[in-house]
Amino acid sequence: MQRRIISNEAGARSDAMMIVSVIFIAAFTYIALTTSPVYTGIGVGDRAPDLQGQVLIGNEWVDFNLADNIEPMWDEDGEDIGTWYLIEFMDTNCGHCINAARDDFPSAQANWLGEDAPRPTPDNINVEFLAVSISLWEDTTPGKEYGKEEIVEFRDTYGLNFGFMDSQDNSHQSGWGNLGTPSYFIVSPNGIIEYTNLETPELVWQEALENLVPRGDA
Amino acid sequence: MVAGLECFDASLMPHLGILLLGIAMMTPLGEALALPALRSKWKSLETLLGRTFAGLFLIMFSGFTVSAHTLWMHNKAQEMGGGSFCSAGAVCDCASVIGNSDWNTMPFIGLPWGLLGMLAFALFMWLIISIAKDPAASWVLTHLKIGTNFGILGIGIILYLMYAEYEIGKICQFCTTAHIAHVVATIGFFRLSSLYGSSEWAVANSGISGMDSSSRERRKRGGYVAPKISLMDKASEEE
Repeated sequence: MQRRIISNEAGARSDAMMIVSVIFIAAFTYIALTTSPVYTGIGVGDRAPDLQGQVLIGNEWVDFNLADNIEPMWDEDGEDIGTWYLIEFMDTNCGHCINAARDDFPSAQANWLGEDAPRPTPDNINVEFLAVSISLWEDTTPGKEYGKEEIVEFRDTYGLNFGFMDSQDNSHQSGWGNLGTPSYFIVSPNGIIEYTNLETPELVWQEALENLVPRGDA
Repeated sequence: MVAGLECFDASLMPHLGILLLGIAMMTPLGEALALPALRSKWKSLETLLGRTFAGLFLIMFSGFTVSAHTLWMHNKAQEMGGGSFCSAGAVCDCASVIGNSDWNTMPFIGLPWGLLGMLAFALFMWLIISIAKDPAASWVLTHLKIGTNFGILGIGIILYLMYAEYEIGKICQFCTTAHIAHVVATIGFFRLSSLYGSSEWAVANSGISGMDSSSRERRKRGGYVAPKISLMDKASEEE
């Protein structure tokens, strides 16, 4: 008989649990149906994390914040101009980055950058390249040189004309993690990562950029 | 804009209304608020304990709804890349607080604070509804202790979130409403703990059921009626 009384007391708790569950599920369903959050991360479909620092443009270092250059509500059919970013995380001492700077980027920048770039894009779309110079090794590692002068020299050696960000203090790691180099990300004008070689290494960034950026009138 | 006015947000009013109604229900004003029509439907409103339960439930419900609202805002902020759904005021600015990626999620776990608020108030509601349904149950004291201790723990978290608002330099009125609901709910648990075992609790307990002892006993047994064994039956069983 004692067990029956205890079961009855449990009834009050299970009744309460039912009521609270109904309230909780109703609230959660409403939230789920009326919002579609995009989380910040470095995967395809994520919102690109913060990326700020000094960027070498021409002969000057200027402050740059990626968030200031994207428009979350940008609409492809609207009139506002949006910018697609190709972001390369690189190290001036990394052999693969040097190969890319020598073999891939000169032709790519000639194809995509500038007012009269051969690759046509719609009037409301720009394309920019941004190289983020990070440090894979310690400053004291023999044979590895770091510093802004190294970035300038790297850019000039290979005749690159796009922005180079100094992130050799690895401050990018709070948002982007500890990346190897070279790592490529293509970020749409509304700040969403549309491509990274980390997820699809079989697809090269040149091809991904060609596929992703809409084609305009030639 | 005047700092006080910019904090006024029409969408906050439903939450505040429920919260204030709950607080009023726990005060002497609660006797007037418990209208005859309500009393006839819920007999427990005739007692102080019953009104305290009702008031606490309303307070916790308002805390739950406003927490759900902040979670909705958080998701909208993620959707819009930071968004601006409250007025971007000098003092009150939910966008700056809920949309701040450095502070808007729980450390280590990474879940939005609104979700924690919903879970906390859901727990509180479960505790209070189950106690209200059976104030004489053996686990009532345990529930009161759980509620009180979680309330105190929550106040520590509220202090952390107030520090976050201080660091950001803005106040989110929705978060503040949830914090007030939590503090009042904790006070309510202390009040219930002081009432527990008192004559008020006993009177309310008998008043809540409003049934005679036999039907109450039957209800406790879930409708089970024990068969009466006569002496002759017992004797035959022994043979």
